[in-house]
Amino acid sequence: MDKKIFDISDKIKKDDEIQLVPQGDIEPKGEVNYWRSFKELYRDPEFIKAKKSEFTKEQLEKPDVSKMGGLSRRKFLALFSASAALAAAGCNDYRDKGEIIPYNKKPEEVTVGRPNFYASACAGCSAGCGTLIRTREGRPVKVDGNPEHPVNQGKICAIGQASIMSLYDPERLKEPTVKGSKAKWADVDDKILADLKNAKQIAVVANAITSPTFKKVMDEFVAAYPNTKIYSYEVFDNSTRKSAWQKCYGTRNMPVVKLEEAKIILALESDFLDTDEGHIENLRKFAYNRDVMSDREFNRLYAVEGAMTVTGMNADYRMRLKSDLIEEFVHCLISELLGKKKISNYATDGRLTPIFGRSILDDFAKKNNLDKKIVENLVNDLSKAQGESIVIAGDKMPESTHIAVNFLNEILGNTKLYSTEAQGFEVMALSSKDDMNALVNDMRSKKIDVVIHLDVNPAFNLAKNYKYDEALKNVNTRVAFSESANETTALCDYVLPVHTSFEGWGDYKTRTGVMTLQQPVVNPLYNTRQKEAVMLVWVSGKKESYRDTLYHEYLMDNWEKNVYTSIKPSIDFKRYWFAALQDGFVSYAEKPAANPAFITETFVNNARTNSTNDFVLLLQKHHSLGDGKHANNGWLQELPNPISKIVWDNYAAISIASAKELGVKDNDKIKITNGGLSLEVPVFIQAGLADKVISIELGGGRKTGGTIGTGNGFDTYSLMSAAGTSAFLYNNVKVEKGSGTYELVSTQEHHAVDDPVTKDIQYKRDIIREGTYEEYRKKPKFLQKDDEIHGIRLDSFPSINESTKEHPYYTGVKWAMVLDMNKCTGCNYCTIACNVENNIPVVGKDQVKVNREMHWIRIDRYYAGTPDAPRANFQPMLCQHCDNAPCENVCPVAATTHSTDGINGMAYNRCVGTRYCANNCPYKVRRFNYFNWRDRVGDGFYQTDPMNYMYNPEVTVRSRGVMEKCTFCLQRIMDAKGVASYEGRRVKGSDVKTACQEACPANAISFGDMNDKKSEFYQQRMHPLGYGVLEDIKVKPNVTYISKLRNILEPLGIEGMGEEKPGKDEKKEEKKH
Amino acid sequence: MAFDSTYTRELPLVDSRSSFAEIDDTVLAPTERKPSKKWFVAFLMANTALLIGAICVGYTLYYGIGMWGNNNPVGWGFDIINFVFWIGIGHAGTLISAILFLFRQKWRTAIARFAEAMTIFAVMTAGIFPILHTGRPWLAGYLLPYPNQNALWVNFTSPLLWDVFAVSTYLTISFVFWGIGLIPDIALMRARAVSGIKKSIYAILSLGWKGSNRDWQNYERVYLILAGLSTPLVLSVHTIVSFDFAVSVIPGWHTTIFPPYFVAGAIFSGFGMVSTCLIILRKVYDMENIITLNHIEKMNKILLATGTMVGYAYGMEFFIAWYSGNPFESFVFINRAFGPYAWAYWIMIACNVGFPQLFWFKKIRRNIGITFVLVLLVNVGMWFERFVIIVTSLHRDFLPASWGMYIPTMYDLGILLGSFGLFFTLLLLFVKVMPSVSLAEIKAVVPGAQPTHHHHSEEH
Repeated sequence: MDKKIFDISDKIKKDDEIQLVPQGDIEPKGEVNYWRSFKELYRDPEFIKAKKSEFTKEQLEKPDVSKMGGLSRRKFLALFSASAALAAAGCNDYRDKGEIIPYNKKPEEVTVGRPNFYASACAGCSAGCGTLIRTREGRPVKVDGNPEHPVNQGKICAIGQASIMSLYDPERLKEPTVKGSKAKWADVDDKILADLKNAKQIAVVANAITSPTFKKVMDEFVAAYPNTKIYSYEVFDNSTRKSAWQKCYGTRNMPVVKLEEAKIILALESDFLDTDEGHIENLRKFAYNRDVMSDREFNRLYAVEGAMTVTGMNADYRMRLKSDLIEEFVHCLISELLGKKKISNYATDGRLTPIFGRSILDDFAKKNNLDKKIVENLVNDLSKAQGESIVIAGDKMPESTHIAVNFLNEILGNTKLYSTEAQGFEVMALSSKDDMNALVNDMRSKKIDVVIHLDVNPAFNLAKNYKYDEALKNVNTRVAFSESANETTALCDYVLPVHTSFEGWGDYKTRTGVMTLQQPVVNPLYNTRQKEAVMLVWVSGKKESYRDTLYHEYLMDNWEKNVYTSIKPSIDFKRYWFAALQDGFVSYAEKPAANPAFITETFVNNARTNSTNDFVLLLQKHHSLGDGKHANNGWLQELPNPISKIVWDNYAAISIASAKELGVKDNDKIKITNGGLSLEVPVFIQAGLADKVISIELGGGRKTGGTIGTGNGFDTYSLMSAAGTSAFLYNNVKVEKGSGTYELVSTQEHHAVDDPVTKDIQYKRDIIREGTYEEYRKKPKFLQKDDEIHGIRLDSFPSINESTKEHPYYTGVKWAMVLDMNKCTGCNYCTIACNVENNIPVVGKDQVKVNREMHWIRIDRYYAGTPDAPRANFQPMLCQHCDNAPCENVCPVAATTHSTDGINGMAYNRCVGTRYCANNCPYKVRRFNYFNWRDRVGDGFYQTDPMNYMYNPEVTVRSRGVMEKCTFCLQRIMDAKGVASYEGRRVKGSDVKTACQEACPANAISFGDMNDKKSEFYQQRMHPLGYGVLEDIKVKPNVTYISKLRNILEPLGIEGMGEEKPGKDEKKEEKKH
Repeated sequence: MAFDSTYTRELPLVDSRSSFAEIDDTVLAPTERKPSKKWFVAFLMANTALLIGAICVGYTLYYGIGMWGNNNPVGWGFDIINFVFWIGIGHAGTLISAILFLFRQKWRTAIARFAEAMTIFAVMTAGIFPILHTGRPWLAGYLLPYPNQNALWVNFTSPLLWDVFAVSTYLTISFVFWGIGLIPDIALMRARAVSGIKKSIYAILSLGWKGSNRDWQNYERVYLILAGLSTPLVLSVHTIVSFDFAVSVIPGWHTTIFPPYFVAGAIFSGFGMVSTCLIILRKVYDMENIITLNHIEKMNKILLATGTMVGYAYGMEFFIAWYSGNPFESFVFINRAFGPYAWAYWIMIACNVGFPQLFWFKKIRRNIGITFVLVLLVNVGMWFERFVIIVTSLHRDFLPASWGMYIPTMYDLGILLGSFGLFFTLLLLFVKVMPSVSLAEIKAVVPGAQPTHHHHSEEH
């Protein structure tokens, strides 16, 4: 690898300048004269002086080498070290491992062993979330959300967190290539400049452009080459919502919804909590009203959906409905609310009356087996909570659905929740379908001479019936900028490697009044360039104009001229710029766009998308891989799907009835035909899915995706058609049984919810406790089981909730965790954060199949209810750091022991790997290194340079044969202790944040000192809804779970949970008050 | 029916009134002749199995435990199953040689030597597994409490550590006991040896045995002391092995019945293996008149008794699971009998409790063919008992979310095969170089060797 990254030789070169200045010879009075010689005894002034200065005059003078012997000290040392180095080099390949150069002069900003944090931005998708990057000795090791960023507020998704692995991906493009052979940037520039000058038509294909400065570069490019057309597309472009918005309100800038003020939320085929746009922000706002520590009333989430989504699984009321009937359902609601209940002025609008008659809610509900009670509740809630509710249709839904939903929100007065901030800015408008068609046609008819791909992969992720790959072959000059090889670079002659977001500059404009800055945190690892800089070189037409700082200067210049002048801060630009860089963003008072009035005509004339009796195909955004770009990232591949827990593959989820109809079982392939497109995909039978719905994630099946990314799952873009009303929803799909099977693997077995042995086992075993919000409001302690468990009185035992009581051994800080199940949506981002923080290896699909995944924190998922209407629970499970840890007493070599602050630690060096501790762990959270995973996966992929530099230096990289598990981020605790001791105080619970806690977008994880009774953490831990999982084994877990409350009107009716226990409990409560 | 004299008459311990020389010839024949073709075939088979096992062990050491089927819920698989299985087999020898010796069960003489040898080889085979099962076997020395500069000490609360002491003590005592018992016989072989090398080897091993009165007195005393020392070990070793499970919190493991249940099972399996081997041995080396049908029948009775004890334990586990009202425990047992590993459970029940009931019938007890089949089944059943205990308890424990299946790999099977290979290789070498029946003791129980009351009265 390039030695540049760690080369600090420029910082040590001025060795000679160090001067030793003799100290003044002030003789202290009254000093006891310990003498070693007579000269000293008699205080010979010369001697005293010599003693003070340590060095004689001769010593201080620079030696004249010529006067010395033939071999100077320096020469001798040089020869000595050279021969030693030669001997060392002869013995091993030490030099291959890179140079290790100590800091001779410490750079001001680097303290060895201490991390530096830089605010930057994530380039994982077009959302432009602010990030905070932790670097150690000049290399980034962890990415988190920027806590001060106004949009994502310290949280980022799995892709952003795992992007650190993409930086160190050994398969990144390392230098420019022309037709597969290595080339120099200057030569590439020459050739392309010549082609650009002669081109009749140039096409630039880009993702959504959210950077104002990059937009300026593109404008300049178009000015320099006027026959250029820019095509910007995004797979998940939210286009139907935007176009509906435009039709309804005449603007494309959609307002940010004040979700935190919504009392009733109705999600229609919407995954606003997981894969839909803005989900990080949504999660935070949604969880804001699910906080049992505050008095805020819980919101109520209704979900009506065909697929099973994270949002649906977290809904209070969920109804399954075939996805193409959702629009009709909206119309029925409108008819019910307007026609029957006449809740708004629109009820008198004569244009709408004919619509009411067509859609009758009762009939619709009956016909589609919707739970009558839930529909009733929904209508009541919506009509009661006018102006305090919000209806959200999914990104996948067609424009007509969004128009109907916009109207529904309008009549409910929910426009009150539309803030004045706009989101989803299109700095440059996205290309329409027609544009993209024109691009492909122009390429095919050889009108386009040069096509430049700006880190996009249309050969993979553009709807397959564009036949982009075929069309591309007709272009003479095919240029692709990319971080790593992909399907498009494979078709291009010029493949130009670009900086990752860790190495380059950038800015993002995604929200009214917010600009996010992206700054490099590491020198480029390879001979890559910033794509914007290359474009600028081409704009100038002079290849000599390139310099490494080109875009940096351009960006600063643009900010100085445009941003700075428009904001007009009171400080000079330099200070402003550095302050902005330090913050990672600037927020300023931007004049918000006024929310315009609804155009009723749009709704009246809205052509409905009709339902069919065929199968509906839903193409979903991949939970962890996004559009598939990040396929070579093993952490993302191995992150379980929150719903199915399947890893490494995408699959077709279908309902039980549909599986029966098709005669298939899990892993059988089905053949899906969407118009002229077809694909065989393995089936996963998913509880809660609507019948005749197939839900598949996009982003699998990469063909040129790297060692890790190639060959996992199925290329479902081949089912995507440009012809549909929505790119993600097709309702005239033919499905038949396919040939053969394909094994899907998951991290969790699923058990039939109707098997009497396993039915409701999570309640019977006291793993999950839940009740309704109403019961909780009436009696907060309704779920506490003080005196009995499983019907057996345990009076003779100490209290069951003993684990929350003080422990005599731990008098100082005692670390503990609280997990709020009301906030946790099962998104898994904690898992990925933990992976990055704790150097957790990727094990591969074959090893997940045999239950050897290594995740230290996992999200357990439980179903209750019926297979058609399941009630899901998510439960993050990690080491509980039990006071009576059963793992500790069985380890023969005492490799796992308890610390005085209550942590169950692992001494990896001592572990011999008997696995007894893992067997004896009731929570099964211990992970064993069955292999040297880094050596095994992808034939040593994860120990190839520069992957080694990714690892967190604070955490041991575990060898094979060693047990590992969650340590409560011990390294962070030790760090905080160090800081506290340096500051001369005791460490506080709030000093430490674990990686999972930092990452949780819903703030469901709290960590702190359970002995600090004044802290909020203590209060939370002692919350009446708190319980420990499997308390009755008496292992005394230190992780407290806050029972799940469902904001529903009817009791859940779980046996032994939340029932009235007359007498005893009330008496206790009275005593306390 | 009135008791006739045959009812109270002791059955002869050695059929036929063989002379001492005939016995010597019969027993020592294998050690003095060139091995037969049959021996070579058997040796080749055992060696092949051993080699396969060695290759699998090699792969495991090179790549890691991941070569096996062990996984996250099921941290122990064939490794510990095999360990417990072989340790169990190692129980018959000491029981026969020590406990039956103390109880003056003279019929033990014909089978004691062989059973003891088997014990040692079984324990040696078993001993490989605790080392091999660790993730980093090269650090297995950490399990020993040795003073070191890191001031690291072993964890005396861990049953695995108790195992280390229990098994190593057992192996040592058994070995010494066996070695002492061999001295008079080796002295005899020294006397009979023709070749010089053989003579000198036997001379060293016989520790200068002269056969003097004093020698015999000392010998008998040492033998008695060692028998006394070994006796508690028979009970303690498998008790401690059972602690590996009983001390844990895992339902299906965490039960107090385990120590007696394991000891009974160990004796059961040990006798199963002794029978299996002896039935072959007596046939191949024409020792039918020394290891008689009476011996087989007696062993079958013990098999019936211990098998039934084991069956009682199985039943009691179920009863307690229900009676305790502990939902975790009840689930484990329902899952054992009807879950995905039910087949293993029913194999265990059939082989350990079901088929041995046939031994109630004298005809079957004395039928070599049926006995052979039944003892083979006992071996199978007892191996599956450990499989059931370890795998079914672990694969579905407390949290349903962490449940998983355990599927052994070919490396697991290879190592299991290899363990049999090692055991039988050692056994075959033993029968080649050492007397498989204790000559000194058997001569004492040959009809006519002892002065009897009747004999005396005849003389008078």
